[in-house]
Formats: sequence, C-alpha cells, structure tokens
Amino acid sequence: SLIKPGSKPPTTPVKLKKVSTFQEFESNTSDAWDLGDDDDELLAIAAENLNTEVVMETAHKVIQNHSKLQEQHKFQEEHLQEENQVESAELTSVVCGDNRLVKSVSEGHTSSSSDNASENSSMQRSQSLPQTFTPPLASGMADYNTSVTPALTEREASRLDKFKQLLAGPNTDLEELRKLSWSGIPKRVRPIAWKLLSGYLPANVDRRESTLQRKRKEYFAFVEQYYDSRNDENHQDTYRQIHIDIPRMSPEVLRLQPKVTEIFERILFIWAIRHPASGYVQGINDLVTPFFVVFICEYIEEEEVENFDVSNLPEEVLQNIEADSYWCMSKLLDGIQDNYTFAQPGIQKKVKMLEELVSRIDEQVHRHLDQHEVKYLQFAFRWMNNLLMREVPLRCTIRLWDTYQ
Amino acid sequence: MQKHNQKEHLYKLLVIGDLGVGKTSIIKRYVHQNFSPHYRATIGVDFALKVLSWDAETVVRLQLWDIAGQERFGNMTRVYYREAMGAFIVFDVTRPATFEAVTKWKEDLDSKLVLPNGKPVPTVLLANKCDQGIDVLMNNGIKMDQFCKENGFVGWFETSAKEDININEASRCLVKHIIASESDPVQSIEPDIIKPHLNSSKAVSCSACFKS
Repeated sequence: SLIKPGSKPPTTPVKLKKVSTFQEFESNTSDAWDLGDDDDELLAIAAENLNTEVVMETAHKVIQNHSKLQEQHKFQEEHLQEENQVESAELTSVVCGDNRLVKSVSEGHTSSSSDNASENSSMQRSQSLPQTFTPPLASGMADYNTSVTPALTEREASRLDKFKQLLAGPNTDLEELRKLSWSGIPKRVRPIAWKLLSGYLPANVDRRESTLQRKRKEYFAFVEQYYDSRNDENHQDTYRQIHIDIPRMSPEVLRLQPKVTEIFERILFIWAIRHPASGYVQGINDLVTPFFVVFICEYIEEEEVENFDVSNLPEEVLQNIEADSYWCMSKLLDGIQDNYTFAQPGIQKKVKMLEELVSRIDEQVHRHLDQHEVKYLQFAFRWMNNLLMREVPLRCTIRLWDTYQ
Repeated sequence: MQKHNQKEHLYKLLVIGDLGVGKTSIIKRYVHQNFSPHYRATIGVDFALKVLSWDAETVVRLQLWDIAGQERFGNMTRVYYREAMGAFIVFDVTRPATFEAVTKWKEDLDSKLVLPNGKPVPTVLLANKCDQGIDVLMNNGIKMDQFCKENGFVGWFETSAKEDININEASRCLVKHIIASESDPVQSIEPDIIKPHLNSSKAVSCSACFKS
C-alpha cells in the first residue's frame, strides 16, 4: 500500500477510472495522507490509473522546469561573480535550485540549506508532495502543526469516538486498535495508541499507570548506571558518533534546543550500549524523532507547537517524554534489529523485496534502471535505513507509522 | 556554444573517509559554493555533479559519490565503488583517529576496485578542517609526502570546506591524474618489474601537482 501512484493491485475490486490530467490524478491521490480515510477509499486511490501520455507529459514538464532552473542558476552564478557581494538568502536559493538538479527529489525538502527555499524550489516541491502540505519546508514541526484543524468534521469526531471507546478498556482489543489505526490515528489519541500498539503499555487500563511509572524509573536507572561511561575508552567511540550526528539532525526546531539534543543523545547512547550487536548506526537517530514529537504534542497546546520550546515544560514532563520515547523506539527497533547488525541483512532483504516488487508492478521502470546500471541499493538504502524519515515530511512519516505500528 | 571538436569526459569520483570528517561539506562547497555546519549524516550514498571546463577542447563532468562514513555501512561500499575513476579520501585534522583510518579506507578501496588496466584508481588525500587551527599532523609536509608515496596517493591537500581552501586545486590534481591514467597503456604481464618505475613517476607528478 506504500506504492502510491500508478500501481494497481490486480485483485482490487474497485472499478478503474481513467484520469486525464495530472492535476486530477493528484487531487485524487493526495487524500492518502489525510486523516480518517476508510480502507476502501485508500484502495480506490491505489487503483487509480494514470495513463501513460499524462505521465510523459508531466515528466516532460519536470525536465523543462529543470533546464530552466539550470539556466537560472548559471545566470545567478555569473551575477554573483560580478557583484561579489551577495545576500545570503539569494545564495541559498541558488543552492537549492541546484540541489534539485543533482540530488534526489526527496533530499531537498528537509535539508537545512533549504530553510530559505526560493519560490522556485518550493513551488516545484509542492508538486511532488501532498496538496495539504504547504508550510515552510525544512522545519518538520511546522508542517506537522499545519495538519491540525481545530474543528473536527463529523466523520473525524466519530472516528475519535471509536478510538476512545477502544482505549477506555477495561482491556483494549489490540487487534481491533491496529485495524482501526491502519487508516490513521486521530492526533489526540495518537500518543496512547502508539504506546499500546508498540507493546509498551499493557492492554489492561488499570495496569497502565503503574507500568509507566515502573518503566520510566527503569529508564532513568539505566541513565544513572551507564551514561557516565560515555567517555570511557570502550564507549567513547559510540558516544562520539552520536555527539557528531545529533547537532546536525533535523528538524531544526529540535536541533536548536540544547535540552532536546541532550535527551536524544541520552536515549541513543543508552540504547546503543544495551544493544551491542548493532550499536549506534546512523539513521537510528531519525527514529527517535517521531516518538518524541508525538509524545510532546500530548503536553503542548496545538497553537504553540510551531515554535514550541521545551524549556517551558516542567522537568518531570520532559523526563516522561524521554523515557516513553526510549521505550517505544526500543520496541520498534526490536522488530527490525537486523537492519542494523553486521552487513545490515534486514535492509538488504528489504531492498531486494522492493526490487522484486517494482519488477512485478512496473517492469518498464525496472528495466530502465537495469539498463542504466542503477542498483536499488544506491537509492533505496536510505529509505529502509531511516524508515522514510528523510524522504517525506515528518507529518507524513507520523501518519505512515500509524499504519506500521 | 559548443565547439565542434569539443571532447567530453565523464568521471565517477568517490569521496570516502570516516564519519564527520566533512565529505558532504567538501562536495557542497565544490558544487554549490556554500557551507553549513548542519549537513545531516549521509546514509548510504548521495550524488552531485560538477562540470569543469578543463581546457579549450575539453569539458569534464565529475559525478561525485558522497559515501556514508560510518563503519556499519562498510559492507555496502563495493556496490558504490563500481566503475569509479578516482577517489578522495578525507580525514579531519582535528581528530587523529580519522587519519589513522585513512589507510583502512585506502585498502578497502584498492581491494574492491581497480582500473580496467589493473592499476589502483588515482586517489588524493584531503586533510580537511585546516581552518580550525588545530594542526595535529600538518606541520610536517615532508612526512605527508612520504605517507602519500608509501600508501599510493597521487597527492594531498590541506582543505577547508568552511573557508573554501584548496578544494578546486585538489580536484584539478585528481582529474589531471585520471586523464593521465586513461592514456596509460594496459599493464604488462610482469607487474613487479614495471610497478616501481610507475610509482616513482607518479610521485614526481604528485609533488609538482600540489606545488603549483
């Protein structure tokens, strides 16, 4: 179900509609990101068929746009050389434009250099992203925030009720919850739903609070026990790698808050030394972010999220978020640890599966890659290693994880 | 306007070295003329393209492969090295451990990749972050020349992606050696006899290269 446009599972019992324009196609498919879709609708979206001429036409436009940007880049470069004095914003826009020429589409929109994205590049980007996604790129928190609509529609309200009933217990039916979550979890119940689905919280309502207390205590006992050893000879390599990566993580709103980076470093260090078979592998740091952001939203008023400042939160709350993030990330990693052990067999396998899948559903693409000697590992490695965290906006990752859980 | 008899070369270049030494920063500086301390850790591999007007008749297109530095990804390097024509190995002058890793990277490279003529790919050593003023290794240029000679580097440069120091120069040096190696005849069946001679001639062109 992750393969969106153009892919039609042959077994889908939905009538195929021919779509004549890219816009039409896009407007039909963008719903996949929205909250509260029924499974049937998702299947219908997957079954949308975009005809080849439209695809080619769109591809042609993209290439034209490319060349235009390239020209513009050249011009601006000359311009820069002449003037010698440049405003940094202008320079950044040049960089962004060019960024897109040489790198994958996905790389541009979260890289720190795109903070001051030019009109051009953001316009181009928005075409490849869901329509609801409009805010300043780069800052994942910001786009996460804009998905918040204060007033719920009737349908959203009824979905929220369904979740609330399930969560109320006395024993939450996890299978039922998982089924319901497949098409997205309402924001308000997402923290608890994730904690339940990951296996961090027990299904029994009465045991939840005591479990949280116990696990949070346990985590901080680990911190007490291990964190001072981060500069010891046998651990300093691990710590140093984490310490190099965290100050350059995204989104910026997290990176710029020392309290947050400290939390991330602690979580990752504790996890790494408790899992010596893999240790800290770059990319795992990205897997903390969705948990941290979702759990923090439990405590921050929606309007504030865009510019949220963790120093406004009581110390105790922040500690709870840290411990919960640690445990949920641990649970997630338990299931995919062979992604990060020697030779990363889990990733190799998943990339192979992707190759197999593409060769079946879009042989033309597969042959094209093959003819140009493009190996799937060359472009899909990061998709699997970071669970798409670098490829789609944070808001979309969080939505995807509703389905993974 | 393209000239009628213009030649075009496309070279795949690798940029390798330990995590956090500045591989991505060097490439961004070289290709986009800017710098940020916040480039995220490279996962797997990233790509960039740089076009050089080499001389009146020649355009050189450099396809730069920015390869993740963490050891755990080491198993993937074979896939990324394929058909590269040259390489930069980067270390961070402020972290001696990253210099110690240089020979490890060179061995990894040479064991997985040779040119069609059987020789190792031309490789330039980059001592990055030279703007930091923490010169742990660089005081002795002669020692570095010696190190390059012994380990089969065609040259070395102190670089700074932040201050834009020596990156263009290093690239020109590497390209020069690639062009030279392309016109080299296929290696003889008796490499033991030929090799010492070739190595010494390389070393000469190397020092000429970074003195210019």
